Amino acid sequence: MPSPTSALQGLLRGVARVTQAVARHVGQMSLLVWHIATASLSGRVSFRSVITQAHQMGVQSLPLTIVTGMLSGVVTAQQGGYQFTSSIPLYVLGSVVAEGVILELGPVMTAFVLIGRVGARITAELGTMQVSEQIDALYSLGRDPVPVLAAPRLIAGTVVTPLLVGLANIAGILSGMFAAQMTVGLGNESFLFGARLFWHNWDMFYSLMKATVFGFIIPLISCHMGFLTRGGAEGVGRSTTTSVVLMIISVLVLDAMFPPLFLN
Amino acid sequence: MIEYRDVWKAFDLPVLSGVNLTVETGELISLVGPSGTGKSVLLKTTLGLIIPDRGDALIDGESVVRASRETLHRIRRKVGYVFQYAALFDSMNVYENVSQGLRDDDLKTLGKREVLRRVCQSLEDVNLDPRVVLPKLPAELSGGMRKRVGLARALVGRPEVILYDEPVTGLDPVNSATVDQLIVKIAEKTGVTSIVVTHDIAGALEISGRVALLDHGKLRFVGTPEEFRTSEDPLVHAFADRTAAAEAAVKIMEDK
Repeated sequence: MPSPTSALQGLLRGVARVTQAVARHVGQMSLLVWHIATASLSGRVSFRSVITQAHQMGVQSLPLTIVTGMLSGVVTAQQGGYQFTSSIPLYVLGSVVAEGVILELGPVMTAFVLIGRVGARITAELGTMQVSEQIDALYSLGRDPVPVLAAPRLIAGTVVTPLLVGLANIAGILSGMFAAQMTVGLGNESFLFGARLFWHNWDMFYSLMKATVFGFIIPLISCHMGFLTRGGAEGVGRSTTTSVVLMIISVLVLDAMFPPLFLN
Repeated sequence: MIEYRDVWKAFDLPVLSGVNLTVETGELISLVGPSGTGKSVLLKTTLGLIIPDRGDALIDGESVVRASRETLHRIRRKVGYVFQYAALFDSMNVYENVSQGLRDDDLKTLGKREVLRRVCQSLEDVNLDPRVVLPKLPAELSGGMRKRVGLARALVGRPEVILYDEPVTGLDPVNSATVDQLIVKIAEKTGVTSIVVTHDIAGALEISGRVALLDHGKLRFVGTPEEFRTSEDPLVHAFADRTAAAEAAVKIMEDK
């Protein structure tokens, strides 16, 4: 049984280790962002690669994003209807669904879809390139892997994610409206009346701003972890898992920072 | 000319401990030694793919360690690197892989027809039929073909130096001999400076002008193949003996 002092020391050592690791990752990612920015501004990023990545991230993620958005709207409408029946005017449900989807569920659920569909793939792809010396091969051919591999993914993610979130928001609200009608008998007019009653134009901007930040952070972390991969197939698996964990935590932390910063 | 000046590198343990070696322009030298003695690490320091903890690697007098990013890219364009497992880009077909070996400027100015001609020429130089392999993905090629496509990619940019990292590892004897012959043919035809890291001692002694033996991070022997064969250094002798034994074994098998 460890003494309280040694347990505290162990805890502090653990905290120090995690802090050091976080600081190292943040520093390395800041350098990666700087490298991507200079490469992009000096025209060293292929437009074709950006379009290819945008297609893979955007068009190919669209069905899953829409389904996730629809289900978010349906669930919010059902739970809100259950809570509001006989207590609060039901038209408030329109606001709850619209604001819930736009402010929170649309961006966050889309981010989770992208983490699973895109982020994990990017880390595995770049990690495999790293362990099979394909990244070294790029260097040896006088090509810089950052503008070739990381920059197109980061640019595409930042541009495409707000579009996906916008569509997820629309899908969520429409399906929520349909679900409200089917479950608690709230008419479309009443739903839209409630939605307009508490509507702020800023909310849509806030949603898309969140999406832009998530769309930036997901490919950034996944590229960073891909480039850090070492140690064969096991290393690829390890860095993909770490990457997914880091992306989920980052999205949730950033999500928690948004309301105090932008909704006061 | 390539120079390694007092190169030191450690990861968890020391790998290179003060390596000094000069490779003259147009020379073909083989770097041999036990596994894990830092042969590939030394090769990678040549291109700045691994930065030494101490010391320097110079190509034509230009330091790789102190080079700016732009200078390093320029130095790298002079060098073709053949990776142990070819390191072909999985998502690209053979044509795209080999054309990556051309300079960006060349890709912009040459035009598609000339790029195709050069890619085909490089593939023919390594005994591959462009009509067969050009559209194939790396996953559709055999190990020997992948190595040769990797070699073609290194050649297409007309480098002044070629670095071979275990070019025959994992190949059957016929393919090994083919790759060895290609290395000699390329060196003779283009006058390119070549460093071959290999475990195939027999091949190294056959193709090289000089052989260097790396042991525990230090150069233990540098000399001609003949000097290698007749060296009285116990480790060199063991390597040479193993070669002789292997040759004898092959001969016995052939006789049977």
